[in-house]
Amino acid sequence: MNLLKTGALLFATTSLLLYSCSGSNPVEVKGLAQQTGNLKTAPDFTLKDANGSTVKLSDYRGKVVLLNFWATWCGPCKIEIPWFMEFEQQYRDQGLEVLGIAMDDDGWAAVKPYIAQHKMNYRVVVGDDAVANLYGGIDSLPTTFVINREGKVVDTHVGLIGKDDYITEIKGLLSGANKDAMLRNSGSPAAALLSLGAIR
Amino acid sequence: MNIATPQTLSVKRGQTATQTLDISLRSGFHVNSDKPKDEFLIPIKLTWMSGPLAAKQITYPKPEDVKVGEDTLSVFTGKFTIETKFLAPPQAQAGIATMQGKLRYQACDSRSCKRPATVEVKVPVSIQ
Repeated sequence: MNLLKTGALLFATTSLLLYSCSGSNPVEVKGLAQQTGNLKTAPDFTLKDANGSTVKLSDYRGKVVLLNFWATWCGPCKIEIPWFMEFEQQYRDQGLEVLGIAMDDDGWAAVKPYIAQHKMNYRVVVGDDAVANLYGGIDSLPTTFVINREGKVVDTHVGLIGKDDYITEIKGLLSGANKDAMLRNSGSPAAALLSLGAIR
Repeated sequence: MNIATPQTLSVKRGQTATQTLDISLRSGFHVNSDKPKDEFLIPIKLTWMSGPLAAKQITYPKPEDVKVGEDTLSVFTGKFTIETKFLAPPQAQAGIATMQGKLRYQACDSRSCKRPATVEVKVPVSIQ
């Protein structure tokens, strides 16, 4: 287990080093190392949205955030997008924010037409391996991190789950129910790293 | 995805020969066919680098339709083959050589997708 933990931390450190070596990369990433109880703080990052505006995850503190890693070529992601649009519309006033991180290698050239075609109403940024590695490496899409108002990751969903599962979680977190003890992960590498402390 | 190691392709100068790439996917997974029905989907694509043989034609198998959500996808599943017809130019040098190619694909199951991948393919060739 110690070896695993060391490996996970080395992995996270390597990710940051890789990032720092990529001079032309506009992405700013940094792992916040705050931990409260069993929940880990969602690693912070700064990326640009489709309008060129800066999106910094820590600026969403006080909101419930669905942080959704997706791609334009991902069929199951396409199923979720209308749900997220509905959630954004229905729960935004109560403090929900959906933030999509598109993992398309072609970046905005692929993502902008997709956003337009699907009339996506929530904020989308283009991610890369540096950001993915902060979240334990994103092996499969969609992968969605559910983040509470304190910026802690309370759940990780790898792959498509039911719309109702999201609604239950969103309503619980928005109403202030104590979901913090519910760190339910689904056996993914991201979840494993999360539990090992690579995401703190 | 697993690609069986290609056997040596024998071809006479001035003639063609067909090489078969045997591919198998894990149960439950699919890859997009060479002609996906959605412009955003990533097609499977085999490309060959220049070498002693000329790739004249690449033939993909007949795809199957799979329903994901409201979309019908054109995909390959299970075991399938991609054929390449190679021409040995008349001036080709006789002997043993290697043709190198790349297979790009993107795999999903019903709940999630893997990121696009590219694997190298090497085919030993015997030119007579």
